[in-house]
Amino acid sequence: MGLESWMPEGALTTRVDELVKWGRKNSLWPMPFGVACCAIEMMATLTSRYDLSRFGSEAIRFSPRQADLMIVSGRISIKMMPVLAKIWEQMPEPKYCISMGACASCGGIFDTYTMVQGVDNFIPVDVYIPGCPPRPEGLIDAVIKIQEMVANEKMSKRH
Amino acid sequence: MATQEESIAAVIARFPDDVVGQGVHAGQHWVFVKRERVIEALQLLRDTLGYDMLMDLTAVDYLNQGAPERFCVVYQLYSLASNEYFRVKTWVPEGDPTVDTASDLWKSAPWGERETWDMFGITFKGNKDLRRILMPTDYPGHPLRKDYPLKGNGERFNFPKYSR
Ligand code: SF4
Repeated sequence: MGLESWMPEGALTTRVDELVKWGRKNSLWPMPFGVACCAIEMMATLTSRYDLSRFGSEAIRFSPRQADLMIVSGRISIKMMPVLAKIWEQMPEPKYCISMGACASCGGIFDTYTMVQGVDNFIPVDVYIPGCPPRPEGLIDAVIKIQEMVANEKMSKRH
Repeated sequence: MATQEESIAAVIARFPDDVVGQGVHAGQHWVFVKRERVIEALQLLRDTLGYDMLMDLTAVDYLNQGAPERFCVVYQLYSLASNEYFRVKTWVPEGDPTVDTASDLWKSAPWGERETWDMFGITFKGNKDLRRILMPTDYPGHPLRKDYPLKGNGERFNFPKYSR
């Protein structure tokens, strides 16, 4: 059939766009910005019981330069916010952000002078996870949503 | 080693005009000492009465509560030998919130003084390293003062925004 009938066995044709997206989607490397109790659930998600590596995201990178998915899990104080912004800037494009839990998404119960009221005030967030803390299933769902985003976006949009 | 009651008596005997109050709650005694004499009283407690450890140094804001002065600096002492606690307090007026430093007596004092300055804006004369310890270095206020708004003065929105 078409071009493939001319090629040796084991080769197949696809579009570069699709191939790159397929690779990206299945190898999201998270940068864990775990600063409070939600981080415990994030760690649980990585353990063998919930096993985030089924979705290709078990390679936690503590260096932002090697990561493309930031998981903000926990409350961000005004002293931590410049650190978060710096790490976000160090991550290479294409990058995605999950805001995990009530505190990271809106400040949660900490409506005080020292707490940032949602990281989306300052950095772009792709997926929010509700809960205090969210269950590991919530984080897995968010990772799958990011994968869908990656699969459906145009490569030319991010480079 | 002196018990708490003996310690109170010894402090009153040494500074009869400068002890302005005393009390007990849950088995722990305290004395109010005038702030000009508080370091001398602490020295007496440390050197002769055996309270060799400064467990905590903090302050209380009595805004609009009918207290003699607005602030009260609290020194919580502990005696390792006799397992006794003792509290020394001193009133600090709002117009001149300064106290002498206790950093010559205890190495732990500068930390508590830094925190008290950071949170209440009480200055400790003689403390050479009065920097902020909890809040960011460029923070503009003293947030544990009762007249500081709970939601702050907009500091939490003061950051650059990043977009894609
Ligand atoms: S959302 Fe709840 S569990 Fe998560 S950081 Fe805030 S308080 Fe902790």
